[in-house]
Amino acid sequence: MSRAELRTTLLEAAEARLPADGLQAVRQRALAALPEQAFPSTRDEDWKYTNLAPAVELSNDWLASLAAGDAPSSAATPAALPDIDAHLLVLADGLVDELALRRVAEEAGDALRLSRLRDRAASVSADGPLDALNAALLQDGLHIVVPAGLRLDRPLAIVYADGAAAASQSRVVIEIEPGASLELVEYHAAGGGDRHFANGVTQLAVGAGAHAAYLRIQARPGSHVQVGKLAATLERDATLDYASFDLGGRLVRQDVFADITGAGAAVHLHGLYLADGDQHIDNHTRIDHRVGPAASREEYRGILNGRARCVWNGKAIVHEGADGTDAEQANHNLLLSDKAEVDTKPELEIYAEDVKCSHGATVGQLDKTALHYLRTRGLGREQAAWLLTRAFAARVSARLPIDALRAHVDALIDHRLDELQENAS
Amino acid sequence: MLKIENLKARIGDTEILKGITLEVKPGEVHAIMGPNGSGKSTLAQVIAGHPDYEVTGGSITYLGNNLLDMEPEERARDGVFLGFQYPVEIPGVNNAYLLKAALNARRKAAGEDEIDAFEFMQLAKAKMKLLDMDPGFLNRGVNEGFSGGEKKRNEILQMAVLEPKLAVLDETDSGLDIDALKAVAGGVNALRGPERAIVLVTHYQRLLNYIEPDYVHVLSEGRIARSGDKSLALKLEEQGYDWVREAANA
Repeated sequence: MSRAELRTTLLEAAEARLPADGLQAVRQRALAALPEQAFPSTRDEDWKYTNLAPAVELSNDWLASLAAGDAPSSAATPAALPDIDAHLLVLADGLVDELALRRVAEEAGDALRLSRLRDRAASVSADGPLDALNAALLQDGLHIVVPAGLRLDRPLAIVYADGAAAASQSRVVIEIEPGASLELVEYHAAGGGDRHFANGVTQLAVGAGAHAAYLRIQARPGSHVQVGKLAATLERDATLDYASFDLGGRLVRQDVFADITGAGAAVHLHGLYLADGDQHIDNHTRIDHRVGPAASREEYRGILNGRARCVWNGKAIVHEGADGTDAEQANHNLLLSDKAEVDTKPELEIYAEDVKCSHGATVGQLDKTALHYLRTRGLGREQAAWLLTRAFAARVSARLPIDALRAHVDALIDHRLDELQENAS
Repeated sequence: MLKIENLKARIGDTEILKGITLEVKPGEVHAIMGPNGSGKSTLAQVIAGHPDYEVTGGSITYLGNNLLDMEPEERARDGVFLGFQYPVEIPGVNNAYLLKAALNARRKAAGEDEIDAFEFMQLAKAKMKLLDMDPGFLNRGVNEGFSGGEKKRNEILQMAVLEPKLAVLDETDSGLDIDALKAVAGGVNALRGPERAIVLVTHYQRLLNYIEPDYVHVLSEGRIARSGDKSLALKLEEQGYDWVREAANA
């Protein structure tokens, strides 16, 4: 395995080339804070199974083009946008598509406050190496503020159309003000160039009594390396309804942090990963229950074929005083091939009294009893097996937080399962 | 229709069926009774092709074919139906979807066209009415969250839609209240006809008050200890199973 490291001289040269815009101070602070090892190593417990070596090489290539002044400063027009009924914002290699931004601003009206990070300062995090790397090289990003009383007629979607450059740093900062609500889609599109490392961060603040429905669709080309982080904070009575679908990508790591800082808050995390070939998909979640009562429910499911390797780590921390916490985590995996592998680890840390917590994880094959039952009804072995496999996945898609996207997501899942089925037979 | 000869079967190292011989002709209703552990359910599962049971001797001929050579789905498509003692819950698989897929598998094997969606719904709803079932069950997951009685009714619904040639009902009466029992019996009786055979596996005589059998067989320790007409069931009701066991061991 490559032990290549990010080249510091390139990093500094690249940063120095970026324009003196509203993000310059953010970048310089982050660069100073960036640890010597810009990428987490597999010696780090949280990165034990996921080696980002392929991202290092892509990053160095990208830094070299930035340092040489070859990198574009405006977004490339994406080849194709997903066909969904939503207000579409576009981030192409981390750069904001100005046309799309203007169109959405017009459609949504003034109530929705949309701006570019380079024009209007927002609080940009730099927690941990990848977040700091993102901040240190940030060229632009989106800042979205949703006031109470705003009802969009359609969900708001952010399309990540990456791949013209070798790497990208994308950032979205979202504030849902008290009592407001937002349906948001994070859509990693299928098109674009093949060689790419995407490092994305989304900061999401859900105010008191506010509601966030968050749908992540990751349908990247099968060669992309993607790491993403969603860092959400929830105030009193806030809710976050999150569902994530990993269908593409070569090496993918998604972190979800949900920080419950107000009583009465609720977090629902649902995830499905469908992996084949030599895909590596790692989902890490961490829910901090700082106050109670509050509830979190989490269920991820995976279907693995070929030599796919998947990781799931679900951590819930019930802090001292967070009495009345109700936390539940589950992860279930189906292995269709004996060469596929999954590492699953639910973790509970409880420092409070009067809590209700449960967790469970399974890795296995289809239920033989159910398989037999279907066969006694005339369904062939293959037909029965795939019916059960699809039903296994449907348990997650049934929890879709945004109804308007249901048909689209179902079709994507069906298509991906068709591919798995074809390769399995 | 069904000819079982000296059938022996085991699960793991335990021999359960130790030589069963039984013939069922079209139009007949047979009741298989016996105490727990006598092999009743094993016989039903072997007929349906459960992979956990290994047939170690004897034969089963169905419509002139070697049934034991057929996959479970082939048996089903050829008209064998097993009503499960414990119907399986399959969340995420729609009840109507399964019913339609099962019916189409049977029609396809018979060289018929698939049923269209409208025709299917008409058929399913008519059968549900007969069984006093809420049509809402069609849109639920297969047996998902159903009560014991609802699961059994759902089995009978599948049978009513599939119209098998040979229906084997494994303890379909267990756990049913009297209304459910009557509904289930009504569904079975509606299916009786000169072309069909029905095998009722049951522990209690109660079901036979509503579905009158032509023959009653009593299983004991993997063998048929007694065969007779419906009066045998009444004798069992009065005297229990001990006399059969004693007579068999004598």
